[in-house]
Amino acid sequence: MSITERLFNRMMVGVVLFGFLALMAAGGTAGFTVARSQQFTGWVNHSNEVQARLSDFRLALERTETARRGSLLDDSPRYDDIYRTFSVSLPALLDRVATLTADNPNQQRRTTQARVLLGAMLTSMDESIALIRAGRRQEAQADFRMAKTSDMVKDLRTITEAMAAEEAGLLKARSDAQSSAARNLYVVLAVSAVLLGIVAVSSLWVILRYTRDLTASRNALRVMNLGLESAVAERTADFKRANEEIQRFAYIVSHDLRSPLVNVMGFTSELDAATRPLEQMLEKVEAEAPQLVTPEAREAIRTDLPEAVGFIRTATQKMDRLINAILRLSREGRRVIAPEKLNMQSVLQGVADGIRHQASERGAIVEIDADVPDIVSDRLAIEQIFSNLVENAVKYLAKGRPGVIQLRGRAQGDHVIFEVRDNGRGIDPKDHDRVFDLFRRSGSQDQPGEGIGLAHVRALAYRLGGLITCESALDQGATFRLSLPKILNLDRGAPTP
Amino acid sequence: MTENQPVTIVMIEDDEGHARLIEKNIRRAGISNTIRHFADGTSALDYLYKHHDQPTLHGPALILLDLNLPDMSGTDILAKIKSGALKRTPVVVLTTTDDKVEIQRCYDLGCNVYITKPVNYESFAGAIRQLGLFLSVIQVPDPVEEG
Repeated sequence: MSITERLFNRMMVGVVLFGFLALMAAGGTAGFTVARSQQFTGWVNHSNEVQARLSDFRLALERTETARRGSLLDDSPRYDDIYRTFSVSLPALLDRVATLTADNPNQQRRTTQARVLLGAMLTSMDESIALIRAGRRQEAQADFRMAKTSDMVKDLRTITEAMAAEEAGLLKARSDAQSSAARNLYVVLAVSAVLLGIVAVSSLWVILRYTRDLTASRNALRVMNLGLESAVAERTADFKRANEEIQRFAYIVSHDLRSPLVNVMGFTSELDAATRPLEQMLEKVEAEAPQLVTPEAREAIRTDLPEAVGFIRTATQKMDRLINAILRLSREGRRVIAPEKLNMQSVLQGVADGIRHQASERGAIVEIDADVPDIVSDRLAIEQIFSNLVENAVKYLAKGRPGVIQLRGRAQGDHVIFEVRDNGRGIDPKDHDRVFDLFRRSGSQDQPGEGIGLAHVRALAYRLGGLITCESALDQGATFRLSLPKILNLDRGAPTP
Repeated sequence: MTENQPVTIVMIEDDEGHARLIEKNIRRAGISNTIRHFADGTSALDYLYKHHDQPTLHGPALILLDLNLPDMSGTDILAKIKSGALKRTPVVVLTTTDDKVEIQRCYDLGCNVYITKPVNYESFAGAIRQLGLFLSVIQVPDPVEEG
């Protein structure tokens, strides 16, 4: 991914994030607006309520006034009843209005005035009614004409009208505020909808883009994996070919070296045989004509010839052993590997039993751990590997220390790690790689051997798809660690001959 | 051994030293038959099939064959001998190769004895001497008269 692309992606993510934040803000605003709108609605309802209660009061007032006037004209008890009913209800109605408008000082002031006026009016009216009841209608009518009470009623009307007007004004303002709040809500909702749309589209776009990128990289990875697999297969094939080539080379070389060796050894023996008649002749000449024997001739026949023959013999025998070792290795490399299920406990026990005699002679014991994992591999190769390793351990003990050789195994992933650990004389760390090379040995050469065992072990380990390493220090014992596949797969692990 | 016509030993061996050692040890075993030595396959086949005193016409033979020859493979020679007029002639393969596959192939082609030359001379000499003893007792058939 290029830098600009990365920057672009980062920006895109930023934009989407910002969109989400804006959306959250819009949601908050919408909630706030709704709350405000509800508040306005409450106020509008309140104003309506105030107006309704005002109307009640005004109606009751008018009915009281009408009933009083009726009483003045006619002494029917009907008017009396109406008057009593409504005049009694008036203070309570006014109190209700006062309670409702407690928040408004203007209205409060007016209600206080109204209350004073109402008190005076009711007193005056009650007096007039009492006069009528007492049969003094004329006096009452005279009072009425003085219009004192009627003025009070008029004043109350004016006050309540003013209150109604104020409430109407408030109602209008509140209705306006309510509708403006609703309008704001619509605007906020619209903006939110647009933001939501933008966020949704950009999120979708980002997700699609990432998905596309992901698919592309997965495809690229698959292609790479395929390439890798074919590269591995190619390398494995190369390796197999090279290995086969080496096997063939070793085989041919060891055979072709053998042929001249037959001659060298054969004619050395002939030479050896030829010295015998010479020796006999020398003895005869020494006995019969000693003056004919020169010291050189005696030296040549008695010392030089047998010595030369001896050296040639030793050298050719050694060469024969080396050639045989190469031959054995190459033959082992050509042997067909046959994997089978191996009970490693019994395989290791078999190896230990095979070497028990040799080990007890040298004062060493072989211990096998109880929980060695089983594997599927070639029995012969595994036995060969372990018997070589154990034999080495028994061979190179530390002086003055009874040998303890431990065989262990533990599973690790699809491999099993085997360990052959001894407390012997150890191997100098600089020789750790060298000891696995053919004909190479380490430390003092006080034990018989050609330097073949570990080379053989390593070749076998490779064939079984495994690895062998050495961990040791001088006089600290040595641990040979063999990692083998749990299940030997011939297609991968081992080159077939 | 046929009384009238003594068996000729035909040795096909490219290594002069080996040839000499084989001959020496055969003689030491007390075998005095004629030994004809050829260092390559071509001249050996020429002798066997075209020479004026070729054994097909002039008496029975026993062939000692080395498999590693410079001009042709010993197994080719073996195949040729065992498929033609000399098919009843005993062939002793005497070679350095001890490859199982090679040994099987030689017996499949009709070789009568397969001996690996031991590098150790005592064993080598012993093997050849025993071969000599073997030569002194085996009956070799007369060559097939081809029609």
